[in-house]
Amino acid sequence: MFSSIKIAMVLIMLAGAGGGFMYVKTLKSDLATSEANNAKLLDSVSEQQAVIEQQQKDFTAILEANKELEEKNRVLAKEFAALDERFNKINGKGEVRDIGKLAEERSKSVERVINNATKKAMRCVEIAMGSPLTEKEKNATKKSEINTECPSLANPNYIPY
Amino acid sequence: MLILTTFLTSCSTVSKLDIFKTEVERAPLNLPNPETPKLEEIKWVIITSENAEEVFAKLKEQGKDPVLFGLSDDDYQLLSKNFAQIRAYMIKQGATLDQYRKYYESEETKPAKTE
Repeated sequence: MFSSIKIAMVLIMLAGAGGGFMYVKTLKSDLATSEANNAKLLDSVSEQQAVIEQQQKDFTAILEANKELEEKNRVLAKEFAALDERFNKINGKGEVRDIGKLAEERSKSVERVINNATKKAMRCVEIAMGSPLTEKEKNATKKSEINTECPSLANPNYIPY
Repeated sequence: MLILTTFLTSCSTVSKLDIFKTEVERAPLNLPNPETPKLEEIKWVIITSENAEEVFAKLKEQGKDPVLFGLSDDDYQLLSKNFAQIRAYMIKQGATLDQYRKYYESEETKPAKTE
């Protein structure tokens, strides 16, 4: 009778120890999983941070590209308006320039003027197609040195005055 | 018997399968710019009722056919403006292409590789 109580006590103690061991083992495994999860979360946060930084960089680059294109469009529109003005310039007497009349009166000089302008315009097209600028074009800073058809394109160092 | 079975099932030789992805960067297009042609020089001739004979005589003298393809002064202005429009369009196209290249191909705007 007494020995069977002893055996029962031992069995209960063994069962308790086994349960405790299992509990600790599960806790350890949970802790390891939590640590791994934490590490993954940290990685994910840093990756997200990198994505956000890249998005901000891209956004800035897009804004910059749009700004540069707008500026180019503005300059080109200004040059086109200048061409229109050249044809319709108003003289000292308040009359609008008539190129036909001028050509009739001074055909030789007008011929020379339009041939020079055509040569310059052709050069502008060559540059627009990718032809490199010559040293003379690069160094032009005076009005007399520039390509009046497309100064923004042909003479980057010229500042209109 | 039970112990033997436990030991045998624990000694599996099938290893865990790992599947991983590696990002392969797309090959850059790297198209070269088209060659820039050298444009031919053209010469305008102004012809009026006054100088017509002189102009045609000069053409004959230079061995050219005595014929001219004409434009009125208004049409000359329109041609100049059309030419300026085409030129501006080409410049804009070039600038747009440059911006695309800068955005997609330059090192500073390329996304950083994640490990």
